[in-house]
Amino acid sequence: MAKKLSFCIIMILVLALSTFSCKQKKQQQVGNEKSKGKGKIAVVISTLNNPWFVVLGDTAKERAEQLGYEATIFDSQNDTAKESDHFDNIITGGYAAILFNPTEADGSIANVKKAKEAKIPTFCIDREINSNDVAVTQILSDNYSGCVEMGQYFVKKMNGKGKYVELLGILGDNNTWNRSKGFHSVVDNYPNLKMVAQQTAEFDRTKAMEVLESILQANPDIDAVFCGNDAMAMGAYQALVAAGKAEKVMVFGFDGAKDVIDSISDGKIIATGMQFPKKMAQMAAEQADEYIKGKKDFPKKVPVAVELVTQENITRYTAYGRQSEQ
Amino acid sequence: MKKVGKYVVAAAIMAFLLYHSIYFKKLDDVKKQRQRETFNAAQYARDFWDNQLFRVLDKTVDVKELIELFNTNMNQAIRKYGKAPGVSRSYAYLIRGNGKILSIAQDFLQLSVREPQTNPDIKIASSLYIPGNAVRDASGLVDVSEFSDTMKFNEISSEINKILVKEVIRPFLEKKPKIGQTIRFFGATQVAQDATEQNLFGQVISSSTETKEFQLVKVVPIRFEFE
Repeated sequence: MAKKLSFCIIMILVLALSTFSCKQKKQQQVGNEKSKGKGKIAVVISTLNNPWFVVLGDTAKERAEQLGYEATIFDSQNDTAKESDHFDNIITGGYAAILFNPTEADGSIANVKKAKEAKIPTFCIDREINSNDVAVTQILSDNYSGCVEMGQYFVKKMNGKGKYVELLGILGDNNTWNRSKGFHSVVDNYPNLKMVAQQTAEFDRTKAMEVLESILQANPDIDAVFCGNDAMAMGAYQALVAAGKAEKVMVFGFDGAKDVIDSISDGKIIATGMQFPKKMAQMAAEQADEYIKGKKDFPKKVPVAVELVTQENITRYTAYGRQSEQ
Repeated sequence: MKKVGKYVVAAAIMAFLLYHSIYFKKLDDVKKQRQRETFNAAQYARDFWDNQLFRVLDKTVDVKELIELFNTNMNQAIRKYGKAPGVSRSYAYLIRGNGKILSIAQDFLQLSVREPQTNPDIKIASSLYIPGNAVRDASGLVDVSEFSDTMKFNEISSEINKILVKEVIRPFLEKKPKIGQTIRFFGATQVAQDATEQNLFGQVISSSTETKEFQLVKVVPIRFEFE
């Protein structure tokens, strides 16, 4: 009986070892395949739960494919652990480059570092990581300057007085603070503009609606809401509609997403900051291609200017960009 | 045999505890972390203002020439003189000029820099709060890639603006400028690529019976001198 048991255990071990060995060979084959064609590019996006990031990812993938690469999108679901798993799979999967929209400015550094150690270049898009030593380049929206302009417009629309709420994005994302600080660098100079509440809704539409509904209970007489992104602006607007205050309370967003651009056209949401996800994604794919072909000197950070979109200039813009660029 | 087993287990536990008690970090990583945490934007801006900015003031463009270029060939203005830290439709310019004060409002002065000096051409900020990145970007001296965190790059603008309010605008306002006086100035401006698509600089963009509003170049002052 003991002998039979030992034999079974040995056979199981042999089977397991064989399977592992085959997987290693396959990964090596996949790695070798990289050298046969133009190769594979991974597009890692913080979350596909937000249409703006879907556009970012789809555009990066499309441009990479136009340049002759096989491109795959990975959704980190705003989770650095999932993001880390993606990087592990990308490293063993023989990818030639990574177009990366980080989940966290500090938390994502380690992932880019391990890709670099595996000799896979990373190109950050839209969100930055707080390191200049690991990614090849970082193509970033100039959120602070965009929100300085937003802040100036906000002050003008509010006539320098009134009560407002601020909905923040993900607290670990530099974009959240770049936008908030840019906005406050202007607005805080006007003592008659009072922020009655500031809370995170994590860049999420549903959360923004719930958070604002709750804030309105304690502060029913606000005049405006500044939201750190357009998904939250839509959620905030929904909450105001439900409360019967959509005509009275101004909503300001940031991103340039389709639903907010349409809303501005309809005279509902007041303004947004047009980031250019398509432009940034295309730049990242093109720079990855240049890198693979041999170019190695890239600026560490490339800010991409954000443009203020209002009801006055809305005809110049469409979702995610300018009319003239479509 | 049992004793050996116990020692092995004890050693394994000790090793596990030790491993999780001690962390090794590269010294360079620690230094960089500390640098991030101790960056002093006010000090950086001070050094920029005292030791660097004035070295590039001889590279300013005369604002009269620049306005002409804006109105006739914006692309050439951008190529020759414009600066932007990344991808942008707006460019910053370091300028100099002299002009006659035509009006004084709460937050700005309107100056005429082109003959016959009857209509304004530029608006110089005289507010005690200055937003934006005009001086930082127009100087061409601050590279965003120097900073691991772009918030520091932004804080520099904010600190530069505080210096210029305190050391340029306030002293100037204390001298009580008057309409009709001529002043010499250095400054920075940011102009969008499509700024002259609908109206040229110096053109009237709206008028009522009492006032006219002109398309003006907006300038953040770096230095003022009365002539």
